[in-house]
Amino acid sequence: MNGKLLAVIFLSLLLLAAVFQNRYDSTISYFSDRSTFVSLPSGKALKILSFGYQNLTADLLFIWSIQFYSTYYLTNRFDYLERVYNTITDITPQYKEPYIIGALIMVFEAKDIPMAIRLLDKGSRNIEKEWFFDHEAGYYCYKYLKDYSRAEAYYARAASKPNAPSFLKRMKAHMVYLQDDPKVAYQMWLDIYNNARDRLEKDSAFNHLYQIKAEIDLPVLQQEIAGFKENFRRFPATLAELVRTGIAKAIPRDFSGNDYQYDPLQGAIKAQRVFKWKQR
Amino acid sequence: MKTLEITNLKKSFRSNFLIKKYHILKGIDISVEQGEIYGFLGPNGAGKTTTIKCIMGLLFPNEGEILVNGQPSASIAARRQIGFLPENPYFYDYLSASELLHFSASLFAIPATVARERIDLLIKQVGLEGHEHLKLRKFSKGMTQRLGMAQALIQDPVCLILDEPFSGLDPIGRKEFRDLILNLKGQGKTIFFSSHILQDMEMMVDKVGIIINGRISRQGQLSEMIASSTQYHEIVCSRISEKQLTKINPNFVSHDNQFIITLDNEADINLVVESIIHNNGLVIAVNPVKKTLEDIFLKELREV
Amino acid sequence: MNIKGLAFNTFKESARNKMFYLLVFFGIIFALSSKLISFLTLGDTIKVLKDTGLAAINFFCVLIAIFTGINLVYKEIEKKTIFNILSKPVTRDHFIIGKFFGLALTMLVALIAMAGIFFILVLLVGGGFDFKILLYFFMLYLELLIIVAISLLFSSFSTPILSFIFTVSLYLIGHIMWTFNEFKSLLRSPLLEKFTHMLYYILPNLDKFNIKNEVVLDLPMRTGTILFSILYALVYIMALLTVTIMIFRKREFL
Repeated sequence: MNGKLLAVIFLSLLLLAAVFQNRYDSTISYFSDRSTFVSLPSGKALKILSFGYQNLTADLLFIWSIQFYSTYYLTNRFDYLERVYNTITDITPQYKEPYIIGALIMVFEAKDIPMAIRLLDKGSRNIEKEWFFDHEAGYYCYKYLKDYSRAEAYYARAASKPNAPSFLKRMKAHMVYLQDDPKVAYQMWLDIYNNARDRLEKDSAFNHLYQIKAEIDLPVLQQEIAGFKENFRRFPATLAELVRTGIAKAIPRDFSGNDYQYDPLQGAIKAQRVFKWKQR
Repeated sequence: MKTLEITNLKKSFRSNFLIKKYHILKGIDISVEQGEIYGFLGPNGAGKTTTIKCIMGLLFPNEGEILVNGQPSASIAARRQIGFLPENPYFYDYLSASELLHFSASLFAIPATVARERIDLLIKQVGLEGHEHLKLRKFSKGMTQRLGMAQALIQDPVCLILDEPFSGLDPIGRKEFRDLILNLKGQGKTIFFSSHILQDMEMMVDKVGIIINGRISRQGQLSEMIASSTQYHEIVCSRISEKQLTKINPNFVSHDNQFIITLDNEADINLVVESIIHNNGLVIAVNPVKKTLEDIFLKELREV
Repeated sequence: MNIKGLAFNTFKESARNKMFYLLVFFGIIFALSSKLISFLTLGDTIKVLKDTGLAAINFFCVLIAIFTGINLVYKEIEKKTIFNILSKPVTRDHFIIGKFFGLALTMLVALIAMAGIFFILVLLVGGGFDFKILLYFFMLYLELLIIVAISLLFSSFSTPILSFIFTVSLYLIGHIMWTFNEFKSLLRSPLLEKFTHMLYYILPNLDKFNIKNEVVLDLPMRTGTILFSILYALVYIMALLTVTIMIFRKREFL
């Protein structure tokens, strides 16, 4: 048997093996038939088993998870989602990306907000100086869970971290506002307004303050107008009448210092500008 | 002070976990004077290489003492004075001859300039001219042997210990080595070597030591040994019948058309020659035959 | 001094060994492939590039350390080239120390080659020059010297296969030693605890040289930990060489 014949035989055998491998692959579905995850060791175990290559192990696991969770035809791929990201973050707790990406996947793909928040909490615990995790958690509480008191707590924590950007304080104040506590919110915004470091902050605070003041003032004024109507069977001609008749002690102005707009015919009072901050 | 003095050297090995001990050397006494060539002779497994390794500190004796110029042979001071050539030497095959010799020189802390001169001289002396830059993995056995000799001489030692220095050499090589060793003796060096090739030994050595089964069977000056061994005579004759010859002297063998009679006693020569002539035979030659080293050696073997 | 001669000769031997070049080559290839892997991640790609590159260099350097070390003394004894050395005025101690320094030089060259390529790669992707990576390579070098000393120890009395198994085992154990302290408290018997405690100090603790995490994530390190790591390495290496010399002094060559 000469050399060339042997080479041909070798290549054909290799090809045949490849064909069989291919047929084998089509009979099983790797992720549903094989428990990729049951055999995934815990984070602590992997940390030990990586024998000094922890970072690489975490990286590879993370890369794999990104690819895996983008594979849309695997409909049950979220079954072990939390476990996978817990493992990655156990191996190298100081690595930021897995917390963030993991939370993103949990919120937008798996649609499990509490799971995401748990992961972000873990990140905040492990990387104490990082404000981003608390900001994300606060945002998800606000936007999806509509749990404003929790959101407020997160934003408060986020704002307290070093190098926290200024908008976090504003978010916190807004959360307070959303909890229907306008007076406290007003104080917070005033604080922000007075300590504003740039134009943007000041303007933003101004708008909030304007709106909140209006929301505080207008109902009171409306009540006073209604009271006047009950007593005098007509709407007051001007707001000053309310003071003269002793119904109101003083007429508040809006945050800009302008008068509120009063329509004596309708008895309606409104602010010059309305900021639609209240989005329930 | 003797150059090499071995007193009551004993060495045994234990085979791994077995209790059994193998006694290789059972009490060796060897002495070599300065300027002597000492031939160390013995059958395979007698303990030649073991003895030499004990001298060089590669094995540790169980009992006994080995001194080189009064110092323990395995000490650093002694090793400075010794040039060693092991049996079947092997060197770093990734080096060239010149590189190996430079490396050897560095182990003696010989300065580079001195080393270079010395190495050029040695290469010529051992007959490796032209091959000094060839990588050692390309060397033949004979070339390796020559290089071994060169590295043994690198520091111009006063004493040479050589284990089977003639192995791997063709007859020309053997002659060159013989001449080299005799030359070194002429420079006043002491040479101790072991060998199987008795003819070469016979031509060179002053003293002989025969080791059999771990003991020195016989040691002494070669000339004395040979002189003390009985010579015999051979008478070559022809034109005589076997029957007739048997009557004269039965000690003969036939060879071609001739007979060779062996006579131990010198005095019998005349009688035998006369008897042959008397029988109308032809006396071709009367030869005196000295016993060779081989004869001495084989005799020792038989007596053990 | 003949230690220098021995060391350089050992280095020459390794440098002319094909296996050595193969491993250095693969080390460089894998370090460069870290660029490919970094494409697959989201977020900090430079971190992944550094991780993979450092892990590749680490892995291949360890392989080089083990493979060149385990053969070193064994080959000399097998091929009987050791006769030519020990018959010269070279003590057995010098022989071992010379071998060690030769290996140290070999490792240094291998590491510099791979580290150089790595630094260039990091600079090309815009990672800048990080002093901490240099510190990592220095710590890695200390770890490699310990591994080299271990493989030299086994090579002085054992066959290459056994030496390989023992050295690799000690390397792996060395990287999980930090768990011993934790597990110790889980053991019920105080005798076992004492035993484990003793093992903890006798066996090599190698994870202290693994500062990849701190380097790549730019975490703070205390000078105390670095200092004690260096001292530990120096002392442990000397201890290993001492044991090797003790064994080697008694060695006979049949």
